[in-house]
Amino acid sequence: MLRSTLINISMNRPKWVFFAVLLLTVLAGLQIPSIKVDTDPENMLPADNAARVFHDHVKERFGLYDMIVVGIVNNSAGGIYNQQSLSELQQLSDAIVQMDGVVSQDMMSLDRVDNISQEGPGTIRFEWMMKQVPKDQAGIDQLRASVERLPLLNNTLVSGDGQAAGIYVPITKKSESYRISGLIQTEIGKLSGNNEYYISGLPVAEDTFGVEMFIQMAISAPLAGLMIFILMWVFFRSFLLITAPMLVAMGAVIITMGLLIGQGYTVHIMSSMIPIFLMPIAVVDSVHILSEFADRYRPGEDPKKALKEVLGHLFTPMLYTSVTSAVGFASLAFTPIPPVQIFGLHVAFGIMLAFVLTITLVPAYIISLSPKRMAQMKDHNIDEDDNSFLGRLLISTGRFSIARAKGLLMLFVLVIVGSAYGVAQIQINDNPVRWFKPDHPLRVADRVMNHHFPGTYNAFLVLDKTSDLRSGLEQTLLARAAKEGVELQQKLDSVKVESFIEYTNALINLFDQLSYDDSANETMWLDLLGMTEKAQIGSKYFLTPEAMKYVDDLQNFLDQSEYVGKSNGLPTMLKTVYRELQGGAAEQYRLPPTATAAAQTVLSFQGSHRPNDLWHMVTPDYRSTVLWLQLSSGDNQDMSRVLTLVEGYVADHPLPDGVKLNWAGLTYINVVWQDEMVNGMLKSLIGAFFMVLLIMVVLFRSIKIGLLSMLPLTVTILFIYGLIGLVGKDYDMPIAVLSALTLGLSVDFAIHFLERTRAIYRQCGNWEQTVAEVYKGPSRAISRNAVVVAIGFTPLLFAPLVPYITVGFFLATIMAVSAVVTVMLLPAVMEMIKDKDSLFGVKPGMKESTHD
Amino acid sequence: MIKQLFTTFVAGLTLTVSAQLCAADLTDVNEIVKQANLAAYYQGADGRSEARMLIQDSQGREQQRQFTILRRDHEDGGDQQFLVAFSRPADVRDTVFLVEKHASTDDDRWLYLPGLDLVKRISAGDKRTSFVGSNYFYEDVSGRNPEEDNHTLTDTTGEFYVLENTPKDPDSVEFSRYQVWIDKVSMLPMKIEYYDVGDKLYRRVEVLETETVQDITTVTKSRVSDLVSGASTTMEFRFIRYDLGMDSAVFTERSLRNPPRQWLKRPE
Repeated sequence: MLRSTLINISMNRPKWVFFAVLLLTVLAGLQIPSIKVDTDPENMLPADNAARVFHDHVKERFGLYDMIVVGIVNNSAGGIYNQQSLSELQQLSDAIVQMDGVVSQDMMSLDRVDNISQEGPGTIRFEWMMKQVPKDQAGIDQLRASVERLPLLNNTLVSGDGQAAGIYVPITKKSESYRISGLIQTEIGKLSGNNEYYISGLPVAEDTFGVEMFIQMAISAPLAGLMIFILMWVFFRSFLLITAPMLVAMGAVIITMGLLIGQGYTVHIMSSMIPIFLMPIAVVDSVHILSEFADRYRPGEDPKKALKEVLGHLFTPMLYTSVTSAVGFASLAFTPIPPVQIFGLHVAFGIMLAFVLTITLVPAYIISLSPKRMAQMKDHNIDEDDNSFLGRLLISTGRFSIARAKGLLMLFVLVIVGSAYGVAQIQINDNPVRWFKPDHPLRVADRVMNHHFPGTYNAFLVLDKTSDLRSGLEQTLLARAAKEGVELQQKLDSVKVESFIEYTNALINLFDQLSYDDSANETMWLDLLGMTEKAQIGSKYFLTPEAMKYVDDLQNFLDQSEYVGKSNGLPTMLKTVYRELQGGAAEQYRLPPTATAAAQTVLSFQGSHRPNDLWHMVTPDYRSTVLWLQLSSGDNQDMSRVLTLVEGYVADHPLPDGVKLNWAGLTYINVVWQDEMVNGMLKSLIGAFFMVLLIMVVLFRSIKIGLLSMLPLTVTILFIYGLIGLVGKDYDMPIAVLSALTLGLSVDFAIHFLERTRAIYRQCGNWEQTVAEVYKGPSRAISRNAVVVAIGFTPLLFAPLVPYITVGFFLATIMAVSAVVTVMLLPAVMEMIKDKDSLFGVKPGMKESTHD
Repeated sequence: MIKQLFTTFVAGLTLTVSAQLCAADLTDVNEIVKQANLAAYYQGADGRSEARMLIQDSQGREQQRQFTILRRDHEDGGDQQFLVAFSRPADVRDTVFLVEKHASTDDDRWLYLPGLDLVKRISAGDKRTSFVGSNYFYEDVSGRNPEEDNHTLTDTTGEFYVLENTPKDPDSVEFSRYQVWIDKVSMLPMKIEYYDVGDKLYRRVEVLETETVQDITTVTKSRVSDLVSGASTTMEFRFIRYDLGMDSAVFTERSLRNPPRQWLKRPE
């Protein structure tokens, strides 16, 4: 059998075991330096996810980039409208525009945008808004008036209260934002005035998180190792003993991480926590072995005999606890989130590896000890006696559970009901900026900027007009040509371009030329040309009054919502330029009356310094347009509210024929992957539950005990999530991931508890005696393990990043709660079951011997 | 007339005594600049041409513009009149720009938008703004006044005079300097490269094709490339005619609403 082979090899050939483990560890360790950290929440979605593909496509079509927003705040009465603030703004903007990785032509700040204004009757003026900082207050007042006149700039480049100005820095790659924001910070350091500076924007938050995550990993993982080491020393007071579990933990962590990195996976926020998850889990089994070995071994005896006994006795429960934990983590593979899948599968692998290392490395280690050291081990009695504090506490707990079984059950039923209520209150929400602590500069910047400005979070509402323009036009053209007996199809086929506008342009040029070359048919060619031009005008859908009005109305509706700070779009630009063309009076702020008027308004706008800003609002074929929504909150909940608002609006005001509405932008993408995760987690939780239940039934060969073993963890999970709901803590990414893995971890206690209870009952056949026994040895081991695991996670509490703290806190709580529930609830429930013989599968007269 | 004679003379030289040309290299930078300015913007006493613009953005998407340019010089190197009438895309057809270019003061510019039935005067302001959304600036179309820059002749190659130019008023422009390659024979600026304040090359204007029209070496295809974004605009000129004898009245505000069909019409 595999079991005996493994154990025999490790006891007879300890050196082989050491060498093999060392070799594997070194091989894996060599992979670790090629680590690649990935912090992009977009990668929470698979690369081929529809929403993500659309988002990328929108960015490409509209030339949109991820943006860093630099804020300059001056709280004095005049706000940033003073020479010194404006000069600093210009100095900063000049420095930023030169930085590598910045999309310089699309950068937006007061000194890089155009002003369109009136200069006397009938004269319109295009000029830089602030080519130079005005020399006097009159000039500055003029500047302020100009900004406030232009809806595209007001409250975007300068806040409505005039106290803050923004520099919008588009960057080529999101992964550059930490580096670029560092460069910007250096430039800010060179400024001496009394302005405050802030750097915000989702890309910075996401990229900065990655850098801090890396640091965090380098600190937390060793700290967790140290913590477990100290804890075990407190329990066992013997470095000799502790060394073995520590070796198992380190081996498991290094090999697992090496495997992950070696396969070419990036280390994402979840996988960065693998060492911290693995370490406590990995030491637990070794602790069981060592505890039992120290109990059984008598100095002078052959240690192999005692070891064999211990391993034979513990193999099955250890295997099953490892399998269940692994199943809990592996169930994360059911989520549609790739980084979570990778995390789950690798931790599952790590747990199974830790199991193999425990039953090979630990025996090999014990066998290699000299008899003298072995004797030393006995001195440090591992098992506390029944009079220790923990011992006494557990014994009285046992008595209490049995005596007050009914009351306890009532209490647990109440807890379950309360928890169910709490679960119903759960708020699903996340926001990458909140992954930082409230005093982090990014959080501060986020607060200040969103206080002054309508919002630094971007969402893009995209409208696409779809219809088959080409075949309609071709039919008309062919019919006209056929009348003259001219074969046109071949000529049409010779034009090979995808876009309708380019196709019609090519046809127009072709017909124009033919009207010249083939003058016999001049009239026909000119007719065809006219038809094509007409079709082309009609194809520019978002310049038509119907389409413009729909978008404008939608924008007005959104602007009234409290969740949308501000919206910018094609109608904003059209109305502004139209107003200035018409003399600049406020009542002229309206849409051009016809499609040609709109086209000519656009042409006027294109005579500016930044004509390409137009293509961030509409595609050159005018068949797709995007509204840029500035949101003051990046909470998924608030983004979801905006989605619901628009859904409602579209239900009341149906989209024009052939128009499709879609969303893009990082804030939206976050909502998408959160939804996927919430659903995925539910699936993974249910999947894991039934897998573990099945394993329990197989393990105990009893449906009743199988069900019983699921009881503590069910209560625990309900309780924890109920608590989250009641306390009002948002159900976010780390919380979601916890659910499935809790299942695998907390069932361990039930396995050990029920396994021992059944074994003892089968031996003595007396329930009272069984309970008394169980509350001595097994309960102590359970409690100790709960403490080891729980405290093993505590270094996470000192992390600078909130998701780590959350995971640390809840895992520790879960461990503690499930241990308590196991030792209190299970005996109480069993007390209530009358037929103990049937429960534990004892046939009359039968007495079972111990495992082989 | 004198000018035409001059060009004929130059063309004649190219054909017959090109060897002697080297010996006749110009060394006075002001003379080079003056001749280049004339060759590029003052051919004939007046002229017409049809331009087709292909604007290609950084993603390779194309837009097209088609317009007819009428030009009349008050005097060579001095004031000029321009009328630009759009024919395509059809939704901006009959949009007209009218420019009175002054050598010593700001230009006067008018715009007519038929869809809004609106004549607007455009304030002089900045001439380095986009020409109808292309990568050309207004100034590239009508010509930058040579007086605005300091010029130095940095190199004379077999084919070109290479000039280095810096603005007299750096605050009025977005470049810190530009280099220009002037063809020694035609005196046409064949390539201009602009550098930003960080001395990074960011913009290139180049002549791609020339033709001799009525004995005048004339640019028929040119391109402006935005080297930062990767966008570019190519402009082709066709149906070019010089010395049509256009009257100054062609270039009045009246022509905005009533374009001079006689001259806009394609010559037979």
